[in-house]
Amino acid sequence: MLGEFEYLLITAAVSLGENAYGAAIREAIEATTKRKCSIGALYTTIDRLETKGLLQTWMGDATPQRGGRSKRMVRITPKGTRAAKDFYDAVMRVSRGASWATNRGEGAL
Amino acid sequence: MTNGARTLNGIAARLLGSEECEAVLGDLQEAGESVWRGVLEISGLIVRRQLQLWQHWQPWVAGFGLALPCSLALMGISVSVSRTSLGLLDPRTLIGSTSAVSRYAVLPFICQILMLLAGAWAGGFVVGSISRRTLWVSAVLCCLPCLFCLSRFRIESLSRFSLLLFVVPAIMGVRRALRSPQVGLRPAAISAVVLSLCMIFLWSNSGRIYMLDGALIWPAWYVVASARRIRPQSDELNTWE
Repeated sequence: MLGEFEYLLITAAVSLGENAYGAAIREAIEATTKRKCSIGALYTTIDRLETKGLLQTWMGDATPQRGGRSKRMVRITPKGTRAAKDFYDAVMRVSRGASWATNRGEGAL
Repeated sequence: MTNGARTLNGIAARLLGSEECEAVLGDLQEAGESVWRGVLEISGLIVRRQLQLWQHWQPWVAGFGLALPCSLALMGISVSVSRTSLGLLDPRTLIGSTSAVSRYAVLPFICQILMLLAGAWAGGFVVGSISRRTLWVSAVLCCLPCLFCLSRFRIESLSRFSLLLFVVPAIMGVRRALRSPQVGLRPAAISAVVLSLCMIFLWSNSGRIYMLDGALIWPAWYVVASARRIRPQSDELNTWE
């Protein structure tokens, strides 16, 4: 079972598609959660997920706005997608009957 | 980022791997983070990386099973070698005194020197090869008893630095491990056998068994065991980072 931050990272990487790399994922997580995402948390989580076989990373192109430094690109594996879906299903199941989940159906969100 | 900021971040990021350093510095620049924010982020990552390393057994063994006890044992042998060499060099201890000759016998002296060299080199090599990224912790754990003993050294005939004869071979062992953790089986086996025989000889000669000296044995045999596993032309290094 994934952790909350692992799920956020995988979801952000999937939504970014081919442009999923450290800085972009960090920005997406911060924009979505409105919370600061540290580089330490991001890269240690990426490593952990890679060790579990849930994502793959490789060094990508360098760009001028990065001072000519390479990006660490991220791609979610099918195993990672399944793990994220399992997490999402579990959250949905456990949320049934919760007031905020009921409100959602009534258009509160 | 200014040049100073780049330099500061560069130094901090050097503690990370080269690819990670590249990616992290690029991310910081792209995000337009301030110098201190960048240093803070990199420091956070380094701390997390170090904490991750300590979830494995290797740093514990390298630091508390090797650097700490071996430094104590090697300091003892260093002092013993220094005293014996002083006795051998001083003619008054030899001329007309058969008891002095037996006391400062050459064979135990040679055994002590071999133990000092082989034990320190093997210890340094194993510390460097099993946990190179926590080497600084092992170095601190080695230095702590050294500083303690240096501050309390009371043998007037010897310099207090005679405690530290093991440092040079130990550093050579670490450097060798960092450069290449491959050691030929034959030299490793010979040095381990010589070290073990010297230790047994000294124990039998003194009639006492020094348990701390036993800490010097296993690194030498670990070098033998790891040398056996290493295949030539293999890209897989027997290291743990």
